[in-house]
Amino acid sequence: MPTFGYVLVALAQVLLVAAAAPLASGFSRTLRAKMHTRHGPGLLQDYRDLFKLLRRQDVRPPASGFVFRLMPIVMPATLLVIAAGLPILTRATPIAAVGDLITTVYLFALARFFFALSGLDSGSSFAGIGASRELTLGVLVEPAMLLALFVAALLAGSTNLGDIGAAIVEGRTGAIAATLLAMIAFAFTCYVELGKLPYDMAEAEQELQEGPLTEYAGPSLALVKWSLALKQLVVVAWFVGTFLPFGAAVEPTVTGLVIGFLAVAIKVAVIYGLVGIVENAVARARFRLTSRHTWLGVGVASLAFVFYLAGL
Amino acid sequence: MNAPFKATKKAPVGASHVEALRAVLPHAVIEESRQTADQITVTVKLGSLPEAVAYLYYQRGGWLSVVVGNDERALNGSFGLYYVLSMEEEDRCYFVVHAAVPEGKEEFPSVTPKVPACVWGEREVRDMYGLRPIGLPDERRLVLPDDWPEGLHPLRKDAMDYRFRPAPTGDDETYAFVNDAKEETTVVPLGPLHITSDEPGHFRLFVDGEDIIDADYRLFYVHRGMEKVAETRMGYDEVTFLADRVCGICGYAHSVAYANSVENALGIEVPLRGQAVRAVLLETERLHSHLLNLGLACHFVGFDTGFMQFFRIREKAMMLAEMLTGSRKTYAINLIGGVRRDILGEQKTRTLAALVELRDDVTRLVDMLMSTANVEGRVKGVGRLDPQVARDYSPVGPLVRGSGHRRDTRVLHAFGGYEMVDLGINVGEGCDVLARTVVRAQEVYDSIAIIEKLLTDTPRGPILTEDFTYKPHKFALGFTEAPRGEDIHWSMTGDNQKLWRWRCRASTYANWPVLRYMLRGNTVSDAPLIVASIDPCYSCTDRVTVVDVKKATQKTVPYKEMERYCRDRTASPLK
Repeated sequence: MPTFGYVLVALAQVLLVAAAAPLASGFSRTLRAKMHTRHGPGLLQDYRDLFKLLRRQDVRPPASGFVFRLMPIVMPATLLVIAAGLPILTRATPIAAVGDLITTVYLFALARFFFALSGLDSGSSFAGIGASRELTLGVLVEPAMLLALFVAALLAGSTNLGDIGAAIVEGRTGAIAATLLAMIAFAFTCYVELGKLPYDMAEAEQELQEGPLTEYAGPSLALVKWSLALKQLVVVAWFVGTFLPFGAAVEPTVTGLVIGFLAVAIKVAVIYGLVGIVENAVARARFRLTSRHTWLGVGVASLAFVFYLAGL
Repeated sequence: MNAPFKATKKAPVGASHVEALRAVLPHAVIEESRQTADQITVTVKLGSLPEAVAYLYYQRGGWLSVVVGNDERALNGSFGLYYVLSMEEEDRCYFVVHAAVPEGKEEFPSVTPKVPACVWGEREVRDMYGLRPIGLPDERRLVLPDDWPEGLHPLRKDAMDYRFRPAPTGDDETYAFVNDAKEETTVVPLGPLHITSDEPGHFRLFVDGEDIIDADYRLFYVHRGMEKVAETRMGYDEVTFLADRVCGICGYAHSVAYANSVENALGIEVPLRGQAVRAVLLETERLHSHLLNLGLACHFVGFDTGFMQFFRIREKAMMLAEMLTGSRKTYAINLIGGVRRDILGEQKTRTLAALVELRDDVTRLVDMLMSTANVEGRVKGVGRLDPQVARDYSPVGPLVRGSGHRRDTRVLHAFGGYEMVDLGINVGEGCDVLARTVVRAQEVYDSIAIIEKLLTDTPRGPILTEDFTYKPHKFALGFTEAPRGEDIHWSMTGDNQKLWRWRCRASTYANWPVLRYMLRGNTVSDAPLIVASIDPCYSCTDRVTVVDVKKATQKTVPYKEMERYCRDRTASPLK
């Protein structure tokens, strides 16, 4: 059972991620505008967008069912549960049961499942295509992601994300090359998970009218948009917590947590910056060719496994 | 520039085609007339129309430019049909096949089964004049909306006043989309309003998974009734300003084409300097139009950074237009007989300086675009326009040039200022979106070179001639190469200081019919990219609207009564 201190940390993480997600996506937008030589919206634009949408009428297509209504609740809720378990502020996972790599991967899969299902349930053909793309992408990315994490787990001797992070920080993993390769493979799959260009297939505006989002309106749309921002932030935090947990609090003391927060904030900002540069320097990949890219991820992850076996 | 149309040869231009036609169809040719040195109109018997057009099209190197219908009952008791062919192999000229459809028996043998390119023209003639093409495979309406009363043909002279619109006959969409797929397909509607085109056009994709098996579309959602307005309300010079408004991008090309058509009909010689100014402005228009499309190509493959950067440098072309014409669009410059504004010495210097800057910017950006990861992967081999399909349907502009056909009005039928420059044709062999994009990029450089040449060696003298009088019932073609391809206008003067008939065919009108073939075999995600690669212009296509009496009755309402109704808005004469 987690101690009271760690329960508070988990709560703090949930609130923090929930509140900061629009800020992070706003940061992406500002960066994008800079790359476009535009003035662009301010950092807080996404908050304004969300509040505006929340005040609007919620319209649903007549063909839609209860999954369509449920998704805007299920998706952010799942992501917040993940946020509670990730080692974000502290080095250990605040709630060990959630902070396990298998639980985390499946919680992400649950969010994706509902996201895709809502697209199918909306009755719109664009949303349907977006949904099938989302699921295909899941099938393509998850093997590489799991393999990379398993290599890290084998190296650390635990499937707990906090333990993996601790092992990496303390240099207990032994095989440096295997760790690095696992990190690269995981970073790549995380990038695909972010749903940014060139892999924003499911929500491609020009191709599919934003896919599963196309039929949502008002508060539901606000929740879905917020969830997508949330997902990006949680994925980045997941990567940081697992492979780069430097500076995170060892014990849940106030000073440790403040330092941990600052460290995470800086790392996340840097990653968003790098992602922004990649995102704005490429065109969207053709969906048909995505599997070629993801095979590369699987290849790197497999290589990490081979290196682990060789003890390198 | 070699000028093949200057009547220097013994035989007049185009005579060989007439001879050949007489030889193949000995009794078909009734009459032959010439509008200009390189425009011939040959009247053939109505029954021989399909054979005559098909022979000239496939055997003599003709491409269909436009099909014009005309209500000439007040002049000679018949409807006129004009099939305008651009002869592009030997003996280049514009060859118009004319046939008269007698009043009372309003039908004619369809040419479409022999020459597929005629399909839109014949559908439009049927909508607008009620002339029934016998044997036309596609009997759907083209221009008229579904709720338009049967039997009302707006461009007939005795149809109603242009300001009114009949009550809708129904609320349902009855347009049948054609699907040639053998197996079961899912329908994906793109439009009438689609998120990335921002203009009304309804594409219906029939897909299996993500693959497009077949596609159909309907357009003409926003008719503006321009041709009708021009015929019934405006004077000759006003129509040059109306023609500007045909398009928000390439309006000037229409204005020049219209002015040329009237000038050709009346034999007006535009002063050389006026012609040079027109060519400079046409090329300025092409600059900003092509830069827009290059930017959009980036946008549709999801490379928004490129999109924004192209817009940044396009702004320079817009400022150039503003400096030269006084408005960001090259509007309001033409009159019949020349132009309204000269290019002054200081403007010339500033333009030349701006062009140097623009050329550098474009080079840098095009290099960047081509070296951007996965841009080529997105556009190569996508949206293939088969050269044979292109030959059958006569598309124009970068679209047809990207499929290896050498079609460029500026070179093949050099007119006005283009006779003063030496210009090649940019052709791509890829037949895909990439080839079209590359052709456009090259044409940007051509445009810059043309403007530089014309500004450096501008002829001196006046820019406008007013030394002419309007003669009734003269007709001729006017043509330009707009950024999207050949714009062609057919005008006939009237006897009341107004046009009798103005047919304005925008380049996109010629390009829509091949789109179906380009979409087949691609994925849904590439559809907007393919549509964008023809650089479509919805407003150009949607230029005709109408007005007519309620419920299919061709009741004629006195003008005074219409005027009263217009004022009072009570007791409609239509009820």
